[in-house]
Amino acid sequence: MTHARSGLAGQQRRAQFLWGWALVLPTVAGLIILNIWPMIRTIFESFYKAGDFGLSQTFVGLKNYQMAFQDPRVLKSLRNALLYMLMEVPVSIFLALLLAVFLNSKIRGRSFYRTLFFLPMVTAPAVVAMIWNWLYNANYGLINHIIGHRIYWISDPKLALMSIAIVGVWSILGYNMVILLSGLQEIPKDFYEAADIDGAGFWRQLFQITIPLVSPTLFFVLVTRVIGALQVFDVIYMIMTRDNPALESVQSPIYLFYRFAFEEKQRGYGATVVVMLLVITILITIAQQLLQKRWVIYE
Amino acid sequence: MKKVYRRVLSMALAVAVSGLCGLGFTGRSVQANSVKLNIGIWDSNQEPGLRKIIDKYASEKGIDYEISIVDWNNYWTKMESAAAGGQLPDVFWMHSNESQRYMAAGLLLPMNQRIEEKGIDLSKYPGDILKLYEYEGEQYALPKDIDTIALAYNKKLFDEKGIAYPDETWDYAKFEEVANALTDKEKGIYGFFSAPSNNQAGYYNAIYSAGGFVCDRETKKSGFDDPKTVEAMDVFVRLAQTAMPSLAEMAETGDQNLMTSGHLAMCFHGSWVVPAFKDNEYARENLAYAVLPKWGDKRVSIFNGLGWSVFAKTEHPDEAFDLVAYLTGKEAQIEQAKLGVTMSAYEGTSDDWASSSEYFDLTPFLKMREDMEIRPYSKNTVRWENRSFELLQDAWSGERSTEEVCKQIAEEMNSILAEE
Repeated sequence: MTHARSGLAGQQRRAQFLWGWALVLPTVAGLIILNIWPMIRTIFESFYKAGDFGLSQTFVGLKNYQMAFQDPRVLKSLRNALLYMLMEVPVSIFLALLLAVFLNSKIRGRSFYRTLFFLPMVTAPAVVAMIWNWLYNANYGLINHIIGHRIYWISDPKLALMSIAIVGVWSILGYNMVILLSGLQEIPKDFYEAADIDGAGFWRQLFQITIPLVSPTLFFVLVTRVIGALQVFDVIYMIMTRDNPALESVQSPIYLFYRFAFEEKQRGYGATVVVMLLVITILITIAQQLLQKRWVIYE
Repeated sequence: MKKVYRRVLSMALAVAVSGLCGLGFTGRSVQANSVKLNIGIWDSNQEPGLRKIIDKYASEKGIDYEISIVDWNNYWTKMESAAAGGQLPDVFWMHSNESQRYMAAGLLLPMNQRIEEKGIDLSKYPGDILKLYEYEGEQYALPKDIDTIALAYNKKLFDEKGIAYPDETWDYAKFEEVANALTDKEKGIYGFFSAPSNNQAGYYNAIYSAGGFVCDRETKKSGFDDPKTVEAMDVFVRLAQTAMPSLAEMAETGDQNLMTSGHLAMCFHGSWVVPAFKDNEYARENLAYAVLPKWGDKRVSIFNGLGWSVFAKTEHPDEAFDLVAYLTGKEAQIEQAKLGVTMSAYEGTSDDWASSSEYFDLTPFLKMREDMEIRPYSKNTVRWENRSFELLQDAWSGERSTEEVCKQIAEEMNSILAEE
């Protein structure tokens, strides 16, 4: 009897095992085919000079890297991406947190606002870029019309990156908000009730209850958004034209990658730029993983 | 806790990795039962006219076709991936910037034998355009059209200042003088507009009129440091500071918008942009064309011509080539000009194009055919063109002298050419 039961359990366990794998297989296969293999290929290609249409490859060792380290455009693009990240990530997370807290309380039309703030997320980047392009236009743009000054939002090298970051914040706010909302909903209400009785105000509650308890979610958003921000491409590609004098102080490594690899057919050199970005991204991510012990609180 | 940590790490990795993925491209299915030709072009302005021409052929021959339009900026990236995946359209536009690479890679259908079989007379086409699509003695595309450059001007702005319209007597000195006289930056009116990235319908014309050059394919040498090239470039650089909008202003509002809002007096136009102005009321009333200025006795227009090419591995090489032969044949070429799609490459078929628009007299474009220079190209044209656009910004903005910038372009271009 005992023997039979354990056999049944074993069978069940095996079935579960198979089912489990069957269910994750599509995702795993997708990851390997679409992400991991191309990544390996990209690293591989950064040591080669690609022939036309991928027909031939010449091994060039570290020559691409040598070139990249001497190319002011590449170095500046890395700087641009870091600056962009420093502008987009803190602002978008802080605003998203405020919004999430606000929309987590019982207010009228809550789902309406949630939908509203999430909308930019589901809008095609091309449309987003086109609309912002017109808002920003120095001569006919709505923004300049309202403030009554002629500001070159996207063609002044000093402002352009910030303008792009504003679009970035606007686009990602809803996404950050939804993730943070899910974290907020796991915080027991009793804490707030107790704090109310003790007389803690909104800001005190935010910094002493909400942020510590939502910190694992916050950490997740932070890590993913830093990575996302370093890979900024579409808004820049859609808004900045080739003759824009601010392009150089805005173009990101992925933008240069697209230009080198696809427009100018220097696939190896393009790959090099992305691999450099990957290394930086990994370093920052590892640093964040190490630093999280200091501020992330797991229950 | 561990779980959350692990989830964060794996998500982080997934996001990091996804940035490395190439762009996806969709394949397309080919219907096996009837012949359907996929046609790739980049100019939506030409689509309606081309459709009319191809419709006629398609119904006669009982074939089906589909035109896909991808704008110029993305056309070649798309083609590049399509080529690598063996998914090029059956019939598509070829351009001198890219033709050398496509021919060398064997992606285009060799046409010599088919040309002979069909009895196509190549002498009816401009030799320079044929040569763009010839590789090691084999023809890989037939000329679709020809384009030239002319001087577009706003009659109203000339009238307001009491300045006579541009004519055949103008040289670049006179042009510069008038461009400056027409400029009134206070009012936001500019005499001229030519962006650093506009070479074919811009400074290339001045360079070749002045006797300079851009790219010598034989010696693999850049002509940007040629004294005559520098001298011609300097006209544009000077105008960039006196008569043109600033680079920032150019980026904010393009030349077509400035032209149709009465803020721009003169601009060089390629014959291919004319359709973009036909439906604009302001342009209909105020826009007119004249020949380009001359330099000494020389009045050169850069010209180019697209080619109709066929994918080497198309499933329907016979039908595809037949379509190309039709499109580049006399009848369709006349039709193309008449409909105002573009000027045509076939000898003597372009005259109707001049009157294809009731609003503009386009004869200056036809006149510019008298002295033409083919748009400079090499195997990696895009690479050195892109670099030159980038560097020329420094000259346009006045940060560095024309000579210094041109010298740097020449050096970098020489090293790109040396690799070819």
